[in-house]
Amino acid sequence: MTSDIAPVYDAIVIGSGMTGGWAAKELTQRGLRTLVLEAGRSLTPEADSREHVQPFDMPFRGLGDRRVIEARQSMQKRSVSFDEISHRFWTDDVDNPFSTPDDKRFDWFRARQMGGKSVIWGRQVYRMSDLDFEANLRDGIAVDWPIRYADLAPWYDRVERFIGVSGQAEQLAQLPDGAFLPPMALNCVEAQVRDRIAARYGRERVMTIGRVAVLTALHNGRAPCHYCGPCQRGCSTRSYFSSINSTLPAAQATGRLTLRPHSIVRALDFDPTRKRISAVRVIDAQTGAEHRYSARIVFLCASAIESARLLLNTTSPSFPNGLANSSDQVGRNLMDHIKWGGATGTIDGFTDRRVIGERPNGIYVPRFRNVAAKHPDFIRGYGFQGGAGRGGWASATRAPGLGLAFKERLTQLGPWSMTFNGYGEMLPHESNRATVHPTLKDRWGVPSLHIEARWSDNELAIHRDMNVTASELLDAAGARDIRAHTHGPSTPGNANHEMGTARMGRDPRTSVLNGHNQAWDALNLFVTDGACMTSSSCQNPSLTYMALTARACAFAVAELQRRNL
Amino acid sequence: MDRRELLQWMVAAGGLTAVNRLSATHLLALGRDAHRVTAADVGRLKFLDAHAAMTVMIAAEHIIPASATPGATQANVTAFIDTMLDGWYPAADRARFLRGVAELDARSVNRFDAKFMNGTPAQQIALLEFFDAEVTALRSTSDAAANDHWFAMLKYLTVWGYCTSEVGMRETLHSYPMPMRYDGNAQVRS
Repeated sequence: MTSDIAPVYDAIVIGSGMTGGWAAKELTQRGLRTLVLEAGRSLTPEADSREHVQPFDMPFRGLGDRRVIEARQSMQKRSVSFDEISHRFWTDDVDNPFSTPDDKRFDWFRARQMGGKSVIWGRQVYRMSDLDFEANLRDGIAVDWPIRYADLAPWYDRVERFIGVSGQAEQLAQLPDGAFLPPMALNCVEAQVRDRIAARYGRERVMTIGRVAVLTALHNGRAPCHYCGPCQRGCSTRSYFSSINSTLPAAQATGRLTLRPHSIVRALDFDPTRKRISAVRVIDAQTGAEHRYSARIVFLCASAIESARLLLNTTSPSFPNGLANSSDQVGRNLMDHIKWGGATGTIDGFTDRRVIGERPNGIYVPRFRNVAAKHPDFIRGYGFQGGAGRGGWASATRAPGLGLAFKERLTQLGPWSMTFNGYGEMLPHESNRATVHPTLKDRWGVPSLHIEARWSDNELAIHRDMNVTASELLDAAGARDIRAHTHGPSTPGNANHEMGTARMGRDPRTSVLNGHNQAWDALNLFVTDGACMTSSSCQNPSLTYMALTARACAFAVAELQRRNL
Repeated sequence: MDRRELLQWMVAAGGLTAVNRLSATHLLALGRDAHRVTAADVGRLKFLDAHAAMTVMIAAEHIIPASATPGATQANVTAFIDTMLDGWYPAADRARFLRGVAELDARSVNRFDAKFMNGTPAQQIALLEFFDAEVTALRSTSDAAANDHWFAMLKYLTVWGYCTSEVGMRETLHSYPMPMRYDGNAQVRS
């Protein structure tokens, strides 16, 4: 069943998460009547935040409903922020299948609800620099970014000022400073580790507090963080940035926003004579009915792989291999960040010191490899996240003894340990790609994807080096019992930083989007989620997605005003 | 001597081994106290029968006994263990746990001529220490083998259940309510 609806919107935004929320805010504030299509259910901070539920109020005390999760979310549960409460913010793997080769697992974390993955993200926000924007050109890898840091810097400013980012300015060229709220505090051991690293490495290797989209002061009507801990369960005080906490309410305040949940975009209609998207085809997830919506511009913000899926699933005589895919780059160059390299060590002393409160943030060591000197084994680099803490009762679950002495042990804090975990850059490779699966479909009949991705030798060399330099940092910090991580590299996708599947570039023959995130092949289509990324850098990418979205919105509205769209 | 004094005396005397020096009257008082708290709860359990539940309850209280702060019984650890066995663990783990409870009884009958729940506290503790030592011996060669032991399962669930209970968090661990602030350089609670 198809019902045609008259075009009453100026803009359609597909997806309501990190970038969809920004597109909604920017487009409505610039005067456009905007429809946001979200595949999942409605969600509000007031009704759906569960961060204060205590363990004893959960049936499985935080261990999760194992049987249900293994049956329905066996892949989503691999996310570090998946738990007994937050599992409701990830998709159902049975309803939303995809395939990989048997020997190349890929973790594709997905969220279908108002706010998307911005509800459950890690909230770390770092700017990219020209070390990143010039990297592909310098190394002769893939294609050159069509923009440089100067193009994006004002948009980073704009995003940071609106969302609220706490952090410490460090004056490092490879990690530009931003418009920061007061930084969160390092704990007593982290402060000593920072100082000792500085004593050995000076400005070459710097440890700082993480830059995080969590408020440390009242900001735009949102309350500062109260350090309760589990951000992945929502935030009733709106203290961390998510689209439902911040951008969507701002868009709503304009009176020009329409939110449509349960709206699965199946395909886009393309008018080859005008090179424009003429309509968006939506399946109502609750009724199964199909609807068409039209607007002058379309922003695709469905997350990197979903956006590629929609383009690949939209075939026509003009685009037999998928919409906006004359370059054959849609679905290719899939990137993530490589993890699980690093080290842990014990820091003596501070036995009379402890931490009160759950800081939703850790430390950050900005990239230092291939910044000044060239590394012989790999190009690009990595940063470290982590922190210091003391163990509590959990170690007693496997400890010998019983009775009063054992009970006393439950209350004792263990020694301080300090950990560095690497996040490494992944190079774009055309062979790392998502393609339409020939037979597999989701619950709503939309063809699913087959995803193939593997680490290259460069990422594996980066992963090995993480263990070496994390151990060096701990040695500088005076740690003992330094243990490099022994597990292998993370599964591609596990960093939840998937990107690159519709890259920006300077040439329509080798890229999908121009320097304004505009599809070369469909002039009123803008793709501003992680799909647009030409390289991955090693920094957490969401801030860059948001800045690119805000910039693309300004361009699109200007083009509408110039009657170019 | 009331129960609190009794327990404080036990702590002062060096913990568990002191149990052996207590009079039968004191030991029975300890046991009755534990039984009274949970008898009403047993009927609500989904997986453990009354005998297994009482056995688990007594064993858990020996692992984390009441002192100046509540023990495993008052934290209702048995109900948590029952929930986990009923709704979380695979069938093989559940069966292994029940075989362990049966083995505990068999060993108790063999050694003390009484099922575990009918033994004296000193006898009960001796049996639990035997299984604890078995787990420790296994752990010297394989963590996985140690964790598969039914007593390791019981202890894991007892500690987890206690430390995530309201009374355990509030009164023993002082981890509830939330502090609502961050201090990375606070004094350890004395």
